[in-house]
Amino acid sequence: MEKFSPVGEKDVTRAIVTEFAKQFVEYVESDCIIIGAGPSGLMAGRNLAKAGKKVLIVERNNYLGGGFWIGGYLMNKVTVRHPAERVLDELGIPYKEVSAGLLVADGPHACSKLIASACDSGVKFANMTAFDDLVLKEDGRVCGAVINWTPISALPREITCVDPVAIESEIMIDATGHDAQVVKKLEERGLIKTKGFGAMWVERSEDLIIEHTNEVHPGLIVSGMAVATTYGLPRMGPTFGAMLLSGEVAAELVLEKLK
Amino acid sequence: MEAILYDEGTPQELDMEKIARYVVQKMGKVKVEVRGNPFAFNVPQDKVSDYARKIASIKIQGVSQEILSEQQPLYGEIEYEKRRILGKTKSFGILYEGFHLQRIFREIVPREERSLEFVHILFTSRLFATWDDGDKRYHLRTSVYGIPSIISTTGLIEAPARPREYYLLKQQYERLGRDLLELKERFKGRFIDYEDGRLTEVLKGYAMQAVFYHLVDNPFCEDKGCRLYNAHWQEELIFAQLGSKYEFCGRHEEVLDDLHTG
Repeated sequence: MEKFSPVGEKDVTRAIVTEFAKQFVEYVESDCIIIGAGPSGLMAGRNLAKAGKKVLIVERNNYLGGGFWIGGYLMNKVTVRHPAERVLDELGIPYKEVSAGLLVADGPHACSKLIASACDSGVKFANMTAFDDLVLKEDGRVCGAVINWTPISALPREITCVDPVAIESEIMIDATGHDAQVVKKLEERGLIKTKGFGAMWVERSEDLIIEHTNEVHPGLIVSGMAVATTYGLPRMGPTFGAMLLSGEVAAELVLEKLK
Repeated sequence: MEAILYDEGTPQELDMEKIARYVVQKMGKVKVEVRGNPFAFNVPQDKVSDYARKIASIKIQGVSQEILSEQQPLYGEIEYEKRRILGKTKSFGILYEGFHLQRIFREIVPREERSLEFVHILFTSRLFATWDDGDKRYHLRTSVYGIPSIISTTGLIEAPARPREYYLLKQQYERLGRDLLELKERFKGRFIDYEDGRLTEVLKGYAMQAVFYHLVDNPFCEDKGCRLYNAHWQEELIFAQLGSKYEFCGRHEEVLDDLHTG
């Protein structure tokens, strides 16, 4: 068996720190920051990166993919409704049609393919990183995010005093799911009033999510389930088609804005 | 008298011409015009944003939260309403305040046609509800009669309750994560659903409710077999509109006969 290269602990550490720092410095400023690496954030990031844009996705968890690993009720089959199978085909995700217009795929397979496609397209990630606040320009336009390590938020304020840092971008996407964390920060400042999501109505909610994927405030586009929270649309239930297509629409809008 | 029918984002299975012919057949000497999208008929381009804003302001956020004045809509909500007005999308699922919605539609009825000489019947896929002071909540409605009478193709499906057993089983299906389409299949035919071939036939009765509101100030009838019966259950609706041996009860049939002979 071929032996592993003789590398010392310090070399490993140096490699991690150097490469991380290099990427971090480069992505202190990007074309688009996406908060949330769920299906809509990943899809938006993938398409933007494919179009040659510099994209950073901030994810508070260690893992990427959000709820896309698992369908409803902790069961790892994910459903999409027609016409979202177009995206599954594009990503090379196998699926089967269980009834007219309803497709089922394996969660782990679907999610890992989407993550891989985003990475292959050139998206960079800041995982284990929590979105803390917005950077707003004088005219109120969103132009960046204040971030901190996720574990910091879990520690009592009395024993931690770790200030966050800020990163900037031309435009941002809120893809934080039901929480709509970025939009909520605007709400805290009285710049917007969200409506909270309505009751679950699977049949209608997906169309409405796509229709309402839009720039909600100058410099901020809202995507995926955060759209439902922002506009008070019906909840969607465990189906992912609108997440993927909303991410696509968000990417198109960003490209339009970046022109 | 003239009846004018409008179609605001309704599904393709709704045949407006058939409804128009039915109204002529039942009313006799009446002119019926099918106008299509009411916004396209009487709203200039520069007013589209105003109407979009008005409609976006009357969304119901919670069924127990009464809308007392127009709310401040978000940009994205106005943009969505603009696309609906311009006929660029047929997506629906938002709940609006029924009386406010009717008032907005009244504004787009030409002023010279807001008289007893005209019956305006507007079919829409928008879902609406009206506030009930008794139980302090909104209730979904199939129709609100007036100028214009607005009839919801979505309300027809969502407002009258489905069979009681359907809801009990639905609870079980949801708990077990089972496919609700399977449940719908079990109850097929017992309620009106989306893409239902019976839609036009059923809505003929609702068009006549609007006509009777105009003629006698009351759109409804107590007779469960009459097309004017105000059904609260889907099975009642299907019986009144499709299952009954007669279309109208004797009393309402007489009113229609008078129209033909008068």
